[in-house]
Amino acid sequence: MTTQSHTAPPSDPELRIKALESLLVEKKLIDPEAVDAIIETYETKIGPRNGAKIVARAWVDPEYKKRLLADGTKAIAELGFSGAQGEDMVVVENTDEVHNVVVCTLCSCYPWPTLGLPPVWYKAAPYRARVVMDPRGVLLEFGTRISDDVEVRVWDSNAELRYLVLPQRPAGTEGCTEEQLADLVSRDAMIGTAAVAPPAGAKP
Amino acid sequence: MPVITKDLVPVLVNTGGSTRVDKAVAPRFRVGDHVLVRNINPAHHTRLPRYARGKRGIVEIDHGVFVFPDTSAQHQGEKPQHVYSVRFTARELWGPGAAERDTLRLDLWDDYLDLVV
Amino acid sequence: MNGVHDLGGMHGFGPINPEPNEPVFHHEWERRVFGVMMAAFGGGHYNVDQFRHAIERMGATEYLSESYYEHWLASMETLLVENGAIGKDELAARQAKLAGKAG
Repeated sequence: MTTQSHTAPPSDPELRIKALESLLVEKKLIDPEAVDAIIETYETKIGPRNGAKIVARAWVDPEYKKRLLADGTKAIAELGFSGAQGEDMVVVENTDEVHNVVVCTLCSCYPWPTLGLPPVWYKAAPYRARVVMDPRGVLLEFGTRISDDVEVRVWDSNAELRYLVLPQRPAGTEGCTEEQLADLVSRDAMIGTAAVAPPAGAKP
Repeated sequence: MPVITKDLVPVLVNTGGSTRVDKAVAPRFRVGDHVLVRNINPAHHTRLPRYARGKRGIVEIDHGVFVFPDTSAQHQGEKPQHVYSVRFTARELWGPGAAERDTLRLDLWDDYLDLVV
Repeated sequence: MNGVHDLGGMHGFGPINPEPNEPVFHHEWERRVFGVMMAAFGGGHYNVDQFRHAIERMGATEYLSESYYEHWLASMETLLVENGAIGKDELAARQAKLAGKAG
């Protein structure tokens, strides 16, 4: 191919990012080793296990839980989690009266330091469109039924505050260690589309 | 402009870039205020979703002072102002068919709101 | 802007269909888009509001039919040209050159 004057860009994203990255690297505007390190960090080092540790700590330590609900950013940082897309955190507690669920209708805002990068469904149109208007229907799609006497509270993360749901501790976990408790906490429970299931074999 | 090198990646990741502004800007509202969301329809960037425009809510939290995205996206400066968590009932947003108990929270800047007296 | 990205309350998008145990990235190109976006952001080439607005400006049908990281790619292509980091023709020429090699 030689010179082309047309110009709809080729639709292939693989080709487009190669073109963009190669130009930025040649112009010394980005460092390829930094790009690799960023990818590795978010693919392998940061994920919902971080948030699960926060939840487990709040379940076992009532003073920590108070600090967490009063100033999420500071309390989360006590456990070493902070940074990009989690600079200003708010933790919202599920109770017998209130069930919280988080969305970003306008794009995909999500608390990266505690949950890692968001799943495709969270960023896609079906969830973003429906959960603000029919949260109970959306939760049912995830297998979560909320009774009519509980308030469903939807948090649309349209500003730079990032929201983490503190789910309720399930029954039958009195004998669990903090680490065992963290093992029970799913990412979806911290978004609010699921509750935390009791451990297998727990008495109801 | 600085180039992020490999050794700076942990700083980028662990510090990020908060848009909170350390300026003593007076809030226009207080917790408990009843507010009416402005019916603005800018062609430029805004973080005010259409479903909330013209709706009534209650200020539940004052988050503090942040960069205002409507100006920041257009290279028109930070215009720092307060951001509030505003509570709306589901029925206010979606009509009488919505669940009676359910609510929604949006984070709204001073410039998006008016006081309901 | 009153773009299609402002999705809250819309009907017609179908089931949510969460993928069980989905990987962080589904393709190598998605990794590169993520890493380049963050590196350029850290380097001060755009702020988060400009980045989001450039996604909103990508065109309604493109926004709805393209995948998430294609949104990011469109935004970077727009902003890096608008902000003068790379030239529009320069980018097109590089794409053409790579397309020629691939073809």
